[in-house]
Amino acid sequence: MIIGMKDTAKLVGISVIAGCAVFVCTLFLNYNIDIAAIKGEITTEAGMAMYQAQVSTGKVTASVSGGCLVLTSVVMLLFYVKNYIDTHSKELGILKALGYSGLKIAKHFWVFGLSVFVGCIFGYVSAFFYLPSFYDLQNAEQLFPEIKAQLHPLLAFFLIGVPAIGFSILAVIYACLRLRHPVLDLLKEKRGYKIKVNRGVTKDRPFLKDLAGSTLRERKTLVFFVAFSAFCFSAMVQMSMSMEKLSSKTMAVMIIVIGLILAFMTLFLSLSSVVKGNTKTIAMMRVFGYKYSDCSRAVLGGYRPFSYVGFVIGTLYQYVLLKIMVGIVFADIDNMPEYSFDFKKCAVTFVLFILTYEIVMYSYAQRIKRLPLKSVMLE
Amino acid sequence: MIAISNITKSYGTGGNKNQVLKGISLQIADRDFIVILGASGSGKSTFLNVISGLERPDSGSVVYGTSDITKLTDEKLTRFRRDNIGFIFQQYYLLPNMTVEKNVRMGADLTGNREYREMINAVGLEDKTGKYPGELSGGEQQRVSVARALAKKPKVLFLDEPTGALDERTGRQVLDYICRLHKEYSFTIVMVTHNQNIAEMANTVVKMNSGNIAEVYTNERRKTAYEIGW
Repeated sequence: MIIGMKDTAKLVGISVIAGCAVFVCTLFLNYNIDIAAIKGEITTEAGMAMYQAQVSTGKVTASVSGGCLVLTSVVMLLFYVKNYIDTHSKELGILKALGYSGLKIAKHFWVFGLSVFVGCIFGYVSAFFYLPSFYDLQNAEQLFPEIKAQLHPLLAFFLIGVPAIGFSILAVIYACLRLRHPVLDLLKEKRGYKIKVNRGVTKDRPFLKDLAGSTLRERKTLVFFVAFSAFCFSAMVQMSMSMEKLSSKTMAVMIIVIGLILAFMTLFLSLSSVVKGNTKTIAMMRVFGYKYSDCSRAVLGGYRPFSYVGFVIGTLYQYVLLKIMVGIVFADIDNMPEYSFDFKKCAVTFVLFILTYEIVMYSYAQRIKRLPLKSVMLE
Repeated sequence: MIAISNITKSYGTGGNKNQVLKGISLQIADRDFIVILGASGSGKSTFLNVISGLERPDSGSVVYGTSDITKLTDEKLTRFRRDNIGFIFQQYYLLPNMTVEKNVRMGADLTGNREYREMINAVGLEDKTGKYPGELSGGEQQRVSVARALAKKPKVLFLDEPTGALDERTGRQVLDYICRLHKEYSFTIVMVTHNQNIAEMANTVVKMNSGNIAEVYTNERRKTAYEIGW
């Protein structure tokens, strides 16, 4: 087996995200299916209004959180597959040199889909146990007849089977594409640096400035991942905080908790990837006598502005998305609060983001400082 | 002068403890060319790492002039390496996304050396300054790492099997550059190798065996890189 269980264990972040997405979607979609079955039994006007409001809320919550989280999982999965191939290119090159085709090797990447499967099962089962309480909560005002939580195998298949199969196929296809590099490039761990054609003029810039620029150019995927995680952090936290107005308090708390878990998880994963991807360069610079602060500023500091850009885009995205969704879905419902941009929540989220970013970076800095230089160089 | 006394170093704990250096003492004179010779597992690379400040010993001292580097904090040790030490490794460790010029500048900027292009010329790479390491042969990459190490004008140059990954012709060429630069810039060289022939190029040869110094001798006549066997 090319990829061991140990490698897939690193995908715990994807499992958590998939689990949270399925948890939220199971609650709302299962409820929507069960409440639709008793629609005919709702006789009061208030009951019908509540029914429509809850169905709409369910659709918004399931599509916003589900959609966001699927997108996040896809990006993370692709990132991990790419990262795995980059860090194991020598071994994969040897396999190709021995005569294994790219597709034959890529097929083993199906196990990456297991992380999604585990997360989906966990999310579905935990949601199913929570369903009775959720139903009671939704019907707290007793406007509907008693609703019993039913198991819907088709929903279970769409929330567990389809994502797991889909992600496995996606991992195999993407791995197949990434493994199309020539054998020698894989063996020599060449990652396709773009060589500048015009070498006539070399700017007389200090080494550290050049290093900062070239590190970012070389690791565009990491730059994207950092910006994307900041985007997710900003969108998830602000969106979940906005749910307070659009749903019940308990639901709002639940969504905020999930939003925070996911936001921290994504940011942590992206920053840990940034640090791991640059540890060797930092170690080498320290061997030569560069101070850690100089190394950190040149090698890691360049990602920070991109994280802020990601944060801003995430803020705009969540605002536009919620504005549109609320406008469309709740258009016919009376007494729904109008959704408007909340500067206070945005500021709180930004402070939280900066704190998280800097704390993670600081803790990694302490770890790198403690690493024996020899062990990093020998990796 | 580097005064090394009673250095011990172990790896592992309990039953798996392996003492790699068993109380080594040695004195290295300024501007000396010293080769540490030994078979694989003799402790020569660990010894080099300890005396260059890359690793800390379990006990003993490594004194440069009046400064014992085993007592320095990490920050002071980094500053010490910056001001005094150059490294050349078997695996080159060049930055793959930086050109030859920028890799050399990595060393030069540390000491504010604006004349770093001289060093590129000295290793015969003046026409390759804009190339990336991936576009160079092994020998050329090692010459870049020689230029990078010397561009910071170190007082002591440590080399760990610098020709280990090179063929004979390229290996001789790299050693020749190092020797010529040693004469020109007068720094101390401490080179680790398992190749007995290379030892004939040094002033002083230290033979290591199982974590101890087995023999120290001086060569009456130093051979050039093109005179030694391979």
